[in-house]
Amino acid sequence: MEIFYQYLETISENFFDPKKRVFLGYLFSAFLISFMWLTFVKKEKIKQAVYKIFDKKIFMSKSAKADYILFLLNIIILMFLSPLLISQLAIAHFVFEYLHSQTFLTPLGIDINYMWMIPIFFTFCYFVLDDFTKYVTHALMHKVPLLWEIHKTHHSARTLTPLTIFRTHPIEGVIFVVRSALTQGIVIATFYYVYGGNITFVTILGANLFSFWFHLFGSNLRHSHIRINYWSWLEKIFISPAQHQIHHSIKKEHHNKNFGVAFAFWDYMFGSLYISKSDEDVKFGISETEHKYENNIIYLYLSPLIGIYKLIANYVSSKNLKVKKQKFIFNKQTR
Amino acid sequence: MNNIKFKGTTLTKLSFVGAVTFSFMCSSITSVNAGHHGNVYGPYPITEKSYKGTKKNSVSYGGQMARQLLHNSLKKLASTGSPSDPTLAPEKKMLAYLNTKDKSKSLPIMDPKNSSKFPVKQKMIGELSGGANLSGKADKRIQTSWPGNMSGVDVIKFMIKKAGKTKGGVDTRNGMNYPQLISKYTMGAVLYHQACDNYLDEKMTASSKPNNKPYKKGAYYTGKEHSWDEAFGYWGAAAHTMKLSAAQSYDVAKKKDLKAADYNKDGVVDLQTEMTYAHAYYASSYDKKGKTNYLKTVTGAFIDGRKLITAADGNKLSEAELNKIQDYVQIICSNWEDVIAESVFKYAGSVYKDLSKIEKALASGSGMDKAMSKYLKHWGELKGFAMALQAGPDNKSDTFNRMNRMMGFGPLMPNLSQVVGIDSSGNYIKDQGSSIGYYKLHMLKIQNLMADKYALKAKINDATGGMAALLEEVGTKKSAEND
Repeated sequence: MEIFYQYLETISENFFDPKKRVFLGYLFSAFLISFMWLTFVKKEKIKQAVYKIFDKKIFMSKSAKADYILFLLNIIILMFLSPLLISQLAIAHFVFEYLHSQTFLTPLGIDINYMWMIPIFFTFCYFVLDDFTKYVTHALMHKVPLLWEIHKTHHSARTLTPLTIFRTHPIEGVIFVVRSALTQGIVIATFYYVYGGNITFVTILGANLFSFWFHLFGSNLRHSHIRINYWSWLEKIFISPAQHQIHHSIKKEHHNKNFGVAFAFWDYMFGSLYISKSDEDVKFGISETEHKYENNIIYLYLSPLIGIYKLIANYVSSKNLKVKKQKFIFNKQTR
Repeated sequence: MNNIKFKGTTLTKLSFVGAVTFSFMCSSITSVNAGHHGNVYGPYPITEKSYKGTKKNSVSYGGQMARQLLHNSLKKLASTGSPSDPTLAPEKKMLAYLNTKDKSKSLPIMDPKNSSKFPVKQKMIGELSGGANLSGKADKRIQTSWPGNMSGVDVIKFMIKKAGKTKGGVDTRNGMNYPQLISKYTMGAVLYHQACDNYLDEKMTASSKPNNKPYKKGAYYTGKEHSWDEAFGYWGAAAHTMKLSAAQSYDVAKKKDLKAADYNKDGVVDLQTEMTYAHAYYASSYDKKGKTNYLKTVTGAFIDGRKLITAADGNKLSEAELNKIQDYVQIICSNWEDVIAESVFKYAGSVYKDLSKIEKALASGSGMDKAMSKYLKHWGELKGFAMALQAGPDNKSDTFNRMNRMMGFGPLMPNLSQVVGIDSSGNYIKDQGSSIGYYKLHMLKIQNLMADKYALKAKINDATGGMAALLEEVGTKKSAEND
C-alpha cells in the first residue's frame, strides 16, 4: 500500500512541484505564451487560437497516448531502479574529499561585503553547468549508435505535447538520473569546497531561480505544436521552442541539430546550431514512413533492446577495426 | 500539497480517528512519564536489613560529586601555568586536586564559586566527601591515544606537569591546550570509565555487590543500591533533572539559572544534588537544540533502575530483575557513549572550520593569532573527548585506531609540524605532518567515522551537512524524462 501511495505521490509531484517541468503553473504559463503568440503575433482569432492550442488531434493522437502510458509505467520502473543507482550524496562526498587532497583548487577567502553575491553566482553556475551536461549527454545520445537506439524512443513521437518528455526508454531514464547525480554531486561539492560551505541556492517556490524562469517562459512549448521562434540573434543564446521542434524533425538537414536545452550557445560553440525559419515545414518522427508498431508500448520498450542486440552482434562479427570504430563507437550519421 | 487530491476523501474520516488516537497516545505517554521519570533521583528508603541506624535515605553519591568538583577545579587551575615559577606552584596545586582526599576540608572548590547570582551551599571539596580523589579512580589501562605508553592516570599527570610550566596552560609551539585536554580526558578516564566500565559493568552482575548485603560492612545501603548511585553521580545530572528542560539544565551548569537549580528553595545551590556537571552538561547542550533527548533518557533510566533496586527491598535481585537492570545499563551507557561521540563529531567540525580560517590567515597574512587560539582550544576538546571515548567498556579498537591515526598526537601546526611522540625526558618529538588540506580531510573522515559507528543525531558542526541539504534541495529525478 505504501508503494502505491509513493507511486501516486510521484505522479502528482510532477504537476504540483515547481521543481518539475510539467508543474501546473508552468503549463499554464505555456498556455498564456502560446495564446499571446497566436493572437498578437500570428493575428489569429481568440477561439481559433484556443482550439489550436488544445488541438484534440495532437493531445489525443496515438503518439500522445503512448507518451501518457510511458509516463505512468516508467515511474514504476524507476521506483525500483533508482535505489540501485549511485546517489548524488555519495558522489558529492567523494568529490569533496578528493578536493582536500589536491592543491590546484583552494578555498577562497571571501570579502564579507561580497558574500551576498555568492548564492546568485552559485545558482547561475549550477544552472549553466547542468545545462551543459544535458547538452553533452543529449549529443552523445544521438552520436553514439548504442545510445541512439535508446534515444529513438523519444524521437519516435509523431506529435509533441508537454508530456512527450516522458516518452523515454527507462534505460535512458537511468542515464539521465546518473547524469543529474554526477552534475549535482560534482558542482555542489566543488562550490561547497571553494566557498567554505557558504553557499545556498536562490530559489522561487523551492525551484532554482533560473530553472524557474526557464520553465515559466515556456520550456513546455519545446514539446508542442506551437512553433514560436525568436530573433536569430536570440536563438544563438537561448533555444527557442521552434529550434527544439526542428531537432525532432524528420528532415535530414535537421538531424543532429539543436541539442541544447536552455542555452543555444553550446550548439553554437560545437557547430550543431540551427536557426529556425518561420516558413519552414517541420514533421516530427524518425522517418517519413510510419512504423506499424511505433506507438505500441511493448514495441517501444523492446525495440531499443533488439536494436542494441543487433549492433553488438554486428560488432562482434565485424573484423575490420576501423569499421568497428566508425560504425559502432561514434557515428556521425546516426541521426 | 501533492498528497491532498488523492488522499482527500479518506483524510476526513481518518483525521477524526487519528486525532482521537493521537490524543489518547499523548495522554498515555504523559502518564507513563509521570509514573517513570516525572520525579527526582532520591530520596529512597533504607532497605539494607542489617542497618540499625537512624538514616531514612539510602541514596549516597557524595564521593562522585566531590570528584565532579575536583574535575571542575582542575580545569580552572590548568590555565594558571607559569614557565617562570621555580616553585612549580601551579603544578603542585593541580596535583593536589588530582590526588588529595580532602578529609580536613581544606581544598576550596574552584568552580562553581559562591556568588550573589549563584550562591552555593558547599565551599570545600571535603564538605561533599573527604574520601574521594581523582587519581585513584582513573583508567589504569595503557592509552594508545597518547604518546608514551602511559596509563590513564599517568597521562593526566603528564598533562598537568606540562600545563604547570606553560603560560596560561596553552603550548602554542606544540599546539597543546592543556585545560581542555585535562578536562575532557578526565571526564572520560575517571567519570565515564568508573560508571560504565566499573559500577554499571562488573558491579551489576549477580555475584558482585549483591543487593542482600551492605555495600561495605555497616553501610546503610545495599551493594547494588550504592553501585547504582555511584554511577548516577558520575553522570553529573542534578537529582531533579527530569523536572527541568534541557535548556534549564544547561543554564544551571553555566550558573545562569538559580531558580531552576534551587529545587528545595533554600536559596542556595546544593552542589550534591542541584548542580549539572560534565557529561550531563554536554548532553543538555545537544538536547537543547531539539534533535536529541540524551539527558532525560539517561537520567530517566537511572531513576527507573534505582526504583527497581529499591523495590527489591534489600533482597537479592532475581535473574529477571538483573536482566531488566542490564536493559537500563544498556540505555545509560550507549547514550552516554553517544554523547561523547557527538562531542568528537562536533569538535572535528570546529577544527575543520578553524583550519579553513588558518588557511585564509596564511593567505592574507592577518588574523592568525585569533584563528590559532580557537584552533588549539577546539583541537584540545576534540582530542580530549576522543581519548574519553576510549575509556568506556566497549573497546572499539579498530574505530579508535583509525580515529587516533587521523587525529594524531598533536594538532597539525601552520608550519605543518606535528607531535609524533615523546622522548625519554618527556619532551615532545615532532615531525613534518601532511598538508592542511589532508588534515581537514582527516577531520571529515573522523566525522564520518563517528556517524557510522554511533547513533548520532545532533551532529553539530557537520562539515558536509550543508552539502547534503543542498542536494536535498535540488532533489532527485523520479521520472524517466527527456530534456
